[in-house]
Amino acid sequence: MSTNITFDAELLQRYDQPGPRYTSYPTAPAFVAGFGAAQLRDQARRTNQEPIPRALSIYVHVPFCFSPCFYCGCNRIITRDTSRSAPYLQRLAREIELIAPWFDRDREVVQVHLGGGTPNFLRPEQIFDLMESLHSHFHLTTSAKRDFSIELDPRFLNTGDIASYAALGFSRASFGVQDFDPVVQRAVNRVQSVEQTLAAISACRDSGFRSVNVDLIYGLPKQNLEGFGRTIDTVTQARPDRIAIYGYAHMPQIFKAQTQIDEAELPDPGGKLALLQLAIDRLTAAGYRHIGMDHFALADDDLSLAQDAGTLHRNFMGYTTHADCDLIGLGVSAISHIGDSFSQNPRELPAWEIAVDQGQPPVWRGLELSFDDRVRADVIQQLMCNAAVDVTAIERRHDIDFWNYFATGLTRLEQLADDGLVELGPRRVAATSRGRLLLRIIAMCFDNYLQSNTPAARPRYSRVI
Amino acid sequence: MSPFSPIADDGDELRFCSTCAFSAACIEQGYDKSRLGELHVLVAHTGPYAEGQHIFREGDSFDAIAAVRAGTVKTYVTDSEGREQVQGFFLPGEVIGLNAISSERYPCNAVALDPVMLCRFSFPDIAALATRMPGLQQQLFRLLSQDIGKAALLAGNFTADERLAAFLVSLSRRYAARGFSRTRFRLTMTRTDIANYLRLASESVSRGFSRLQHAGLVGVDRRELELRDLPGLEAMASNILRG
Repeated sequence: MSTNITFDAELLQRYDQPGPRYTSYPTAPAFVAGFGAAQLRDQARRTNQEPIPRALSIYVHVPFCFSPCFYCGCNRIITRDTSRSAPYLQRLAREIELIAPWFDRDREVVQVHLGGGTPNFLRPEQIFDLMESLHSHFHLTTSAKRDFSIELDPRFLNTGDIASYAALGFSRASFGVQDFDPVVQRAVNRVQSVEQTLAAISACRDSGFRSVNVDLIYGLPKQNLEGFGRTIDTVTQARPDRIAIYGYAHMPQIFKAQTQIDEAELPDPGGKLALLQLAIDRLTAAGYRHIGMDHFALADDDLSLAQDAGTLHRNFMGYTTHADCDLIGLGVSAISHIGDSFSQNPRELPAWEIAVDQGQPPVWRGLELSFDDRVRADVIQQLMCNAAVDVTAIERRHDIDFWNYFATGLTRLEQLADDGLVELGPRRVAATSRGRLLLRIIAMCFDNYLQSNTPAARPRYSRVI
Repeated sequence: MSPFSPIADDGDELRFCSTCAFSAACIEQGYDKSRLGELHVLVAHTGPYAEGQHIFREGDSFDAIAAVRAGTVKTYVTDSEGREQVQGFFLPGEVIGLNAISSERYPCNAVALDPVMLCRFSFPDIAALATRMPGLQQQLFRLLSQDIGKAALLAGNFTADERLAAFLVSLSRRYAARGFSRTRFRLTMTRTDIANYLRLASESVSRGFSRLQHAGLVGVDRRELELRDLPGLEAMASNILRG
C-alpha cells in the first residue's frame, strides 16, 4: 500500500469526529435493558438447534490492575489487594455453572481468552482453578484448533509463571507496551522497561507459545515521531507475531483515569496521523502486514492467512480467525455474541456480584439483531477485515439490491470518494490507501444508528483519528 | 424476517393463493374461486400461529384439513414413555390433517415451527364437493398417497448421510414445486427435530451436515442452507428416493 500522508488540514478537521470502533455492529450504546438473561438463554437454545451448531469462544474478564495507566478506557479496578481475586473467581465459577448448561455439550470450545484488566493479577494456581471450572462445564477442545490466549502485564509478571500458563494450554500471549519512551511512560503512569518486556516475550517462546502480540498506542501525551519510531524498531526486532497499534481515545468525561492526562500534551490530529503513518511505514518495512484498523501481523501468522482466505473476523477481542463461533463473555462488563444477539454483563462489579450471588445469569443489557442489523453488520465486517465490500456477495447473502438498500448512505460515500478515501465501483466499495486509515469513517456510512445523530451527539465514541 | 422464508402470494376473493393445494384441481374442473364461494365451501384463513403454538393436538375432534400458506408445521406423537416422535414437516402448499380422515379425531399433534398461516377447509364440505368434482377427488387421493410416501422415506437401513441427503433433496423438491428456490432455503426445523425425524442422534445430524459441507454438497450458515451440488445430493439419496 502507499505510504504517503496526503491529508490536508481541512480534511483532517472534517473527518476527525467521534465514531465507533466497530468491534460490534450494532455498537454497545445501542444495547437495551429489555434484553436480559431470558432472551440470552433463548438465543443460546436456538444456536444449539442449528444444523451445525457453532463452536464456542469464551472471553473471561479479569478486572483488577495493580496500578492505573492514565490512558486506559477498559473496565478495571485498581487495587494492590490480591485477596480480591479469590471471591471474584468463586463468582466466575458460579457464572460458568449458570451459563454452561445453556449450551449443548457437543459444542466444542475452541477459543479461550483471558483479558482485563490484568489477568496475571491472578496467581497461576488461580488460573488453573478457572480453567478447571471451564473444563468441567464445557467441552474444551484438545484438537489443533485450540486457541487459548492471555493478556499479560510484563511489569507484574513472574516470567517463571509463563511455563505454567503453557501447561494449562495457553499458546498466545498479548503484552501491553504502548511506548518505550520514558517521558511518555511517566506521562501515562506506566513505566515498563524494554528488558522486562523482552524477557517476557522470550519466556513465551521458550515455553512453546505459538504466538505473541504486542500492543502499542499512538496519540499519547508527549509522544513524538522519534521516540515512537525507536519503540517500533525495538518491538519489531523482537519479532512478535502480531502488533496492535491503537489510537488513544481521550474521553476524560467517561474514563476517569484520563483526567490525569494533560490535554495540552496530546498530539494534534495531524500529529496523531503522522504517528500512525510512521508506525505503518516502519512495520510494513519490517515485514508486517497491515491487517486493518489497528492490527498488524507477520505474513505467516494465522491472521494474515485468514485474511487471504477471506475468513478474518473482527469482534470485541480485535481481529480473530474464529468467525464461526458463538462468543460467551464471562465476568464483569464482558460482552457475549450468541446467535443473532449481543449482550453485556453489568459494568459495575457490585451489580455483577449481586446477580451471580442470587443465582441469576448476570446479563445487564443486549440486543437481538434485526434483518437490517445483520446486513449492515456484514458490510461493516467486510470493510473492517478486507478494507472493501464485495457488493455481489452481500446482495447474494442477504437477497437485497445493494445500491437500492443503501441509497441513503450513498451521498456520504460519494463525499468520501470525492475526498479520495474510497473508490466506488458498481460491484465493489474499496478503501483507498488513505481511506484505510479511516475505515471507521467509511463504516459510519452504513451505520443506521448514527443517522439521526450529529457528531456532537456522539460523545460516547472516541475521535476516529 | 429472512429473505429466504417462503411466503405465499396471498390470493383474494377472486384469486387463489399461490401455494393453494387445490387451486389447480379446481381450475381444471372449471371452478374458479368465486364459484367455490357460491358453493359455500368453507375456506378460512387462520393464523398467524406463533412459534411453538399448537394447531391441533392428538385426540382433538377432526373437522378440517388445512393447507399451510406460510411457515412450517411439525406433526408428532408422544410414545408411552413420553418421548416425542416427529412424523413430518409441512411446508407452504402442503396439507395437514390428512391422516385424520379415516377417524373422527386427529391422530397426532401439529405445532408451528415459525409463524404459520393456514387455510382451513371444512372436511365434510370439501369431501362433498369432491363427489361432484372428480379432479378435486383425484387431488385429495394424490395428497393422501404423498402423505403415506413421506413415511416410507425413513424406513429401511440407510446411512446417516443418505438420510440427510434424502431429507434435503425432498425439501428442495417440495420448495421448488411451489415456486420457491430449490437450492437456497432456511431450515426452519431444529437440529433435534431433524434428528428425531431421521432417527439419528443430534450429534450425528451435525456431523452429517459438516461432512456434506466439507464435500462441497451444501453450504450452511446458521439456519440458512445452500444446496451447492444438488445432483450430488440426489445421487447420494437415490437409494432412498428412487428417482
